[in-house]
Amino acid sequence: MMDLVARYVAAVQRELPESKREEIGRELKANIMDQLDALTDQQGALSEAAISEVLKRMGHPGRVARQFVPPQPLIAIHYMPVYQHTLFLVLGLLFLLQVVQTALVWMSSSDMGIIAYLFAVARGFIEDSLFGFAVITLIFYLMSRQTHEQNDDSDANWQPQQLPDASHGWQVISRQDIFSDLATYLFLLVVIWYPAVMTVEQTDSVRIALSDHAHQFLRWVSPLLVLGIVASMWQLRRRLWSRRMLQGNIVLNLSFVIVTLMLAVFTPLLILDQAQSPGVYDLALLERSAQVTLIIIALFPLWEAGRDLLRLRQF
Amino acid sequence: MTTSSLEKMRLELRRGVLVLAVLASLRQPHYGYSLRKQLLARGIDIDEGTLYPLIRRLAEQDLLDSEWQQAEGRERRYYQLSDKGTELLMQLTDEWQVLNAALGHILGGVAEEAT
Repeated sequence: MMDLVARYVAAVQRELPESKREEIGRELKANIMDQLDALTDQQGALSEAAISEVLKRMGHPGRVARQFVPPQPLIAIHYMPVYQHTLFLVLGLLFLLQVVQTALVWMSSSDMGIIAYLFAVARGFIEDSLFGFAVITLIFYLMSRQTHEQNDDSDANWQPQQLPDASHGWQVISRQDIFSDLATYLFLLVVIWYPAVMTVEQTDSVRIALSDHAHQFLRWVSPLLVLGIVASMWQLRRRLWSRRMLQGNIVLNLSFVIVTLMLAVFTPLLILDQAQSPGVYDLALLERSAQVTLIIIALFPLWEAGRDLLRLRQF
Repeated sequence: MTTSSLEKMRLELRRGVLVLAVLASLRQPHYGYSLRKQLLARGIDIDEGTLYPLIRRLAEQDLLDSEWQQAEGRERRYYQLSDKGTELLMQLTDEWQVLNAALGHILGGVAEEAT
């Protein structure tokens, strides 16, 4: 009889924090023994099956332990929105840094293809983000342990008039969109400006590149990319489309469409070092592929401009 | 409504009421099993796995005083309402009566519509 009870109490104790094991175990055992005594008074000597039934009615040891000491969430609920925001912001920044860092390696490497570049970005980002995730979670965990109760005064002082006008579901700008835009702008800036600081050896190892004329043109339009970065940073701060922000985004995207299409009709667009790989590449075919690719790329900002025009009409 | 949804809502409904019933019953000292018997005798069936942890949590909030005593050759932990618990019980009882009266009107309307 005692064996089953002892095993049950020990099973509950195993699920409890060490500081509470002894006291709760002692109390639980006393309560169970009271029940068994009452049952013995009614039915006489108890069989193992009857004791087992009493213990089953008490509930699974894990459930009983959770009732005694309810599990605490790692992050306190009032910190959760700030935690999620911080996590997203830091992981987004780590992604951007990874894009830039890997792009620099890619530009200085002669044997790294686009697939290898994408894998390098993904691998680096996963490594960095795991570390970032662990550090942020640890900080918020420690903050949650320090303040069990928090009176948030900002909640008490809010005014309905201060809430932004948001009548359309699409008005909230997703962070994914902002960070992917930022990553694209930074990547393009690296691609445009890195050749200017390449060593002679690195320049000599490049077999296919943009023509000087096309490169010069891209340098002239790089302020547009900087403008895109500024707009994205502003979006990150506001997180809500306004009429003016939509207008700005339409102008920006249409500018990208024009620039991309202008680049597509450049002649010559590419230069090829035939001495390094004679007969391997056909320049005319490469130029045609690049033009088609650029036209396809131009469709993306064109789609965004069209989407924003439709949204603008809904204001 | 599925049986599990009904069970979930029933448990939610009972949770607050059980605290009130336990606090009210502990105006006199009880140990775990004797409290359960008393609640059962008054029509409130609460399983042991829920009741014993609930008493402990209330004691940890200083709403109950407790003391180990030896009786009938066994040690038992007796619980009784503390001063803080008594004050809270009075406030909760007032709240319950207001709520119960209002709910009586609302549910009375539901019963009339059903008939």
